[in-house]
Amino acid sequence: MYQLFLIDFSVIKPDPGLLFWTSVIFLLVWFGLGRTAFKPIQKALKKRENEIQDSIDEAKRVQAEMAQLKADNQQLLAEAREEGMRIKRDAEGAANRIISEAKEEAKAQQQKIAADAKRDIDNMRNAAMVDLKQQVGIMALEIAEKVVRKELSDDKGQQQLVDKLVANLN
Amino acid sequence: MRIAISGLICLLVLVGGLSAQAGHDGHDHDGHDHPVEKDSGAHGEEATYDPVSTIMHHIADANEFHLFGEVSIPLPVILYAPGHGFTTGLSSMFHHGATAVDGYVMNHGRVNRIADASFPEGHVDLEGEGHHFVHESEDGESAYVMAGGKQYMLDKPSTLDGGLMGGGITSFYDFSITKNVLTMMLAALLLFIIFGRVSSAYKKRGDNAPSGLQGFLEPVFVFIRDEVARPMIGEKHYERFLPFIMSIFFFILVCNLLGLIPFFPGSSNVTGNIGVTMVLAFLVFLVTNFSGNKHYWEHTLWMPGVPWWVKLFVLTPVEVLGLVIKPVSLMIRLFANITAGHIIILSLIGLIFVFGNNGASVGGAATGAVVGGLFTAFMNLIELLVAFLQAFIFAMLSASYIGAAVEDHDHHDEDHATDHHHGGAYAEKVAHH
Repeated sequence: MYQLFLIDFSVIKPDPGLLFWTSVIFLLVWFGLGRTAFKPIQKALKKRENEIQDSIDEAKRVQAEMAQLKADNQQLLAEAREEGMRIKRDAEGAANRIISEAKEEAKAQQQKIAADAKRDIDNMRNAAMVDLKQQVGIMALEIAEKVVRKELSDDKGQQQLVDKLVANLN
Repeated sequence: MRIAISGLICLLVLVGGLSAQAGHDGHDHDGHDHPVEKDSGAHGEEATYDPVSTIMHHIADANEFHLFGEVSIPLPVILYAPGHGFTTGLSSMFHHGATAVDGYVMNHGRVNRIADASFPEGHVDLEGEGHHFVHESEDGESAYVMAGGKQYMLDKPSTLDGGLMGGGITSFYDFSITKNVLTMMLAALLLFIIFGRVSSAYKKRGDNAPSGLQGFLEPVFVFIRDEVARPMIGEKHYERFLPFIMSIFFFILVCNLLGLIPFFPGSSNVTGNIGVTMVLAFLVFLVTNFSGNKHYWEHTLWMPGVPWWVKLFVLTPVEVLGLVIKPVSLMIRLFANITAGHIIILSLIGLIFVFGNNGASVGGAATGAVVGGLFTAFMNLIELLVAFLQAFIFAMLSASYIGAAVEDHDHHDEDHATDHHHGGAYAEKVAHH
C-alpha cells in the first residue's frame, strides 16, 4: 500500500503534454466551430426570429388595416344610405311640389277658361240682347205699324191683333 | 415506451461494458495467465485485487488505449527529455513494459524514463518474470527496472503541480497523444461532424422549421444562448462571446458523455483530469480579463466610494485574489465532480472483486455483481445528469465572469450593484446544487 494516498492520484497533477494538447484541441474547436457553426447558426436563428417577429407585426398591421377598412366601409354604407334617404325625401318633396303646382296651374287655367267662357257668354248674351232689343224694336215697330193699320180699319180687330201679336211675341 | 426500452438497453450495455472492463482487469490482476498490468500495490508477491490502485489506474491518463484482456490500441508517444531530445514512436514498441526504448519504459500504461544516463540507447530487454518488469522499492514511493543485473530507478513524466501533489518536474516531458488526448480529438471530431451538419441544415433549409439533428440541437443551442449567455453577459455583448460559451459547453458535454461510455471510444476520464479543466479555466481567465473594461478594473483594483484603508487592506487584496480564485473554482469543480463520479462507479464495480474474495468466492462475486450492478445503473443515471449539469455550470459561471467584466456602468451605481448581485447569486445558487 501507499504511504501517501495522493501519490498515484495522477489526475490531480497537471501534465504539460495534456495541457498542450487540450489547448490545441479546444482552440481548434473554439475558432473552427465558432466560425463554421456557432456564428452562422446564431445568425440564422436571429434572422428567423426577426422574420417571425416581422410576420407577426405585419399580420397585426394588416389586421388593423382590415378593421379600419371595415369601419370605413360601414361608415360609407351608412352615409350612402342616408344620402339615399335624403335623395328620396327630396324627390318626394319635389314631386309633391310639382303636383301641387300643377294642380294650382290647372285650377288657375280652369278658372281662366271658365272666366273667359263666362265673359264670352256675357258678351254673346249682351250681343244677343242687343240683337233681341233691335229685333223687338223692329217687331214692335212692325206690330205698331200693323196695329196702326188695323186701327185704321177696325177697332175691335185692332184689339185682337194686338193680343195676337203679343201672344206671338211670347 | 420505445425510449424507455432503448434507455434500458443502453443502460444494460453500459453496466455490462463496465463490468466486462473491470472483469478483465480483475482477471489481469489475478496474475495467473499473462497479466498486462501488474498491481503496483502488490510488492511483487502473488497479485491480489487492490481496489484503490485499480481505480487510480482507471481514472488516470494512459499512453495506450486498453480495450479488453491483453488487447490495447497503441498510441503515438512523443517524449522530450532536456539534453536527450525527442523520442517518438508507438506505445506498442514497449511491449507492455518488457522492452525499454531509448531509456523509456512502460509502467502501468504510462511511459516512465530511466533516470540513469548510463542506461543504453535503443531497444533493451528488461529482466523480469511473467509481466513483472517494473518493481517497486520497499517504501513504495519509487520504482525500478532490472537490466544486465543492474537496478535502474524510474522517473515519472513531469507534472506542473510543483511537488504539491506528489509530482513535479522530472527528467522528461510526455507530449504523447494519450488516451485523454485521443478522446478529446474524438470529441472535437464529433462536434465538427454534428455541428457541420446542423450548420449546413440552417443554410439549406433557410427559415423553415428545423428538422432532424438540427431540430434536436436547436433547443440546446437556444437554451444556452437565452438562459446562459444572454442574461449573464448582457444583450449588448453576448454575441461576441457566444462561440466561446458554446464551445465550452459542448466540448465539456461531449467529453463528459464520452467518459460515461465504459468501453473503447469512451471511458477516458478527460474532464476529470485537472490538466484539461485547468486549460479551460485558464482560457476563461484570459477571455474575462482581456475583455474587462475600464470599470471592471476600477472596481477590481480601486473600488470607488470606499474609504482608502478599506480598499488597501481588504477590498483590493480580496478582489485580486478573486481574479484567480474564480477560474480555480471552475477548474476544481469540474475536475472533482467528474473524477468523483468515475471513482464511485469503479468502486461499485470493484465490489464484485471484493465480495468475490479475489476469485475464491463465486457466490460473493455474484452478490457483488447484483448489488454493484444495480448501484452502478443508478449512479450512471446520476452521472448522466452530472455530465449535463457540470457542462452547464461551467458555461454559466464563465458567462457570469465575462459578464461582470464587460458590464456597462452607464446607469447608476446602486442599480448595477443589485444587478450584479442578482446574477452572481443566481449563478452561485445553481452551481452549488
